[in-house]
Amino acid sequence: MSPNPDKPMFKKILIANRGEIAVRIIRSCRELNIPTVAVYSDADRHSLHVRYADEAYRLGPSKASESYLRSDKILEIAQKCGADAIHPGYGFLAERADFSQACEDQGIRFIGPKPSSIAAMGDKQVARDTVAKAGVPVVPGTEGQGDLSDKMLLKIAPEIGFPLLIKPSAGGGGKGMREVTSIDEMPGLLTASRREAESSFGDGNIYLEKLIRDARHIEIQVLADQHGNVIHLGERECSIQRRHQKLLEEAPSPFIGDDQALRDKMGEVAVQAARAVDYINAGTIEFLVDEDKNYYFLEMNTRLQVEHPVTEAVTGIDIVKEQIRIAAGEPLSLEQEDIVLQGWAMECRINAEDPFRGFLPSTGVITQSIIPAGPGIRIDTGVYAGYEISPYYDALISKLIVHEETRGETISRMKRALDEYRVLGIRTNIPFHQALLDNPDFLSGNFNTQFIQGGTMPENGNQMDPALPEIAALAAVLATYKYTQQSAVSMLRGKRDISNWKMASRWERTKE
Amino acid sequence: MSNEIYFAQVGDREYQIEILSETKVVINGTSHDIDFQTLKKEASCSLLVDGKSFEPSTYQENGGWEILLKGRRFNVLVEDERERQLRLAAGQTSLQEGRFILQSPMPGLVIDIPIKEGDEVEKGDVLVILESMKMQNELTAPRAGIVTRIQAEINDNVERKQTLLILE
Repeated sequence: MSPNPDKPMFKKILIANRGEIAVRIIRSCRELNIPTVAVYSDADRHSLHVRYADEAYRLGPSKASESYLRSDKILEIAQKCGADAIHPGYGFLAERADFSQACEDQGIRFIGPKPSSIAAMGDKQVARDTVAKAGVPVVPGTEGQGDLSDKMLLKIAPEIGFPLLIKPSAGGGGKGMREVTSIDEMPGLLTASRREAESSFGDGNIYLEKLIRDARHIEIQVLADQHGNVIHLGERECSIQRRHQKLLEEAPSPFIGDDQALRDKMGEVAVQAARAVDYINAGTIEFLVDEDKNYYFLEMNTRLQVEHPVTEAVTGIDIVKEQIRIAAGEPLSLEQEDIVLQGWAMECRINAEDPFRGFLPSTGVITQSIIPAGPGIRIDTGVYAGYEISPYYDALISKLIVHEETRGETISRMKRALDEYRVLGIRTNIPFHQALLDNPDFLSGNFNTQFIQGGTMPENGNQMDPALPEIAALAAVLATYKYTQQSAVSMLRGKRDISNWKMASRWERTKE
Repeated sequence: MSNEIYFAQVGDREYQIEILSETKVVINGTSHDIDFQTLKKEASCSLLVDGKSFEPSTYQENGGWEILLKGRRFNVLVEDERERQLRLAAGQTSLQEGRFILQSPMPGLVIDIPIKEGDEVEKGDVLVILESMKMQNELTAPRAGIVTRIQAEINDNVERKQTLLILE
């Protein structure tokens, strides 16, 4: 079916999200000639997605629970403005089966999978059972059906073996997740995990999973249409994480490298997992891969991923456009044989956080933003100079994606881009990425999910230019000098200014 | 403009820096041509030293300077001649940071304060757990010391830069 330029696939698409991903979705809609509708909270009135969309409507107060999570309000706006499709982006309502169902009930197309697929993959235990039945290997150990008590979990833990992970049943993104190395520390960690899960997801239900040491996190992007066609777009390497939050992703994975047989096999398994839940639209199967190249199903993300641009770079496919075409009922225009990976791509997540202070979030107004440009560079962002980073949402301010021929050339390009990037007014994790890209283990592809430990910076392998401390000392002295001069000048001005004396004498006179 | 002499300490290195003019400085006896341009109200500046171009960011932190330069962080303590003489006269041999005031780096909710007044803490010990941007963040001690005062309570909503506790 060839798209008819005179008849767009949808009359109007509402984007039920904010930040960089809302902007990114609007871009594809524009290119497909589909009008867009933005929704926003009070904190986001000045956000880029509101400025870029054709229409924009207020959702409510800044807290996500009163705005971006209000599915009722979003559907009401969609009905009022005549949107016939909703793109949920990632996070917020993207993996809520009830929202997908509510859209369907109201005759609005949800650009994503069916409610039943979201539900099956959303409950991690059901997901594991389902894919295991389809012949997909799963991470060993995890037991626990439903809400097990701490007492039960403590009893089961030694059977799984340490180290293990406590994970919230309801969510991802590392929130509420805790690593346990011994039974002694487990009670405290159970409490902490439940508390964080409760506050993040409104659900304190948790489960245990064996921690595979030295594991890599490698995921496969899949696309599935409504006609039973499922293909995969190769892998993404996502092992560079801090507290289970991804920081840098690349495609292909240096660990899989030239092992095309492994790539094909993992791709096939990912397609099987998607078929097991009658999956439709774009999705991602996450695997843990151990040193011996054994791979285990971790979870399926039933939505667009933050790191989708690296796959777009190496495949040349616009995944958001594919999502829209699939939702409109078009069959996939590509077959598995058509997918050929070109070159290497890498993404750095630029977060408003201070890498020199344990990655504490940094809020405030971005006073200046100079973004890198030039060959092979892509920036997805929702912020700009003058934009205020609020404490209401996550710390991601932009994604810097570069594409080149080889991994080495890609790293050189990324270093160049990071050098050019200037964000003033807030702190960012750009120095973290710069140190990482100079780290010898990262450069040689020798890393796993434990590579970034806690609040520490990766060891910078480059010998520091010995002139730098001297330049830093000079900068500090000149800054001190400048401040001193400025205050001295204003004192002099005060002396020269005689108006105070005039005022005083007038005062004296009126007294007389 | 009169010559100004400053002393700057970066880690275990010390630099004597004499400002001869807007374009001339002497660092530890060696003369350099410089050009220092600051952006209005910004931490970032452009610094040319003998033709080499640098773009440090300068932040005032706890009585000293934090300089970000080429992806690295340097903590610099600066004093002028008068301050140095006063310090040496008082018998202090090294530049010491005084008390440390833990300020909230962002608005947030105090989840836990796992220490109490009078506690001795080591560098890296968790002082406060603060929830912000959907994450729980551990605020840690930058050095060893004694907690002399706690000015926040669990479940407090705190503002950015609000003092949470004091370490001596």
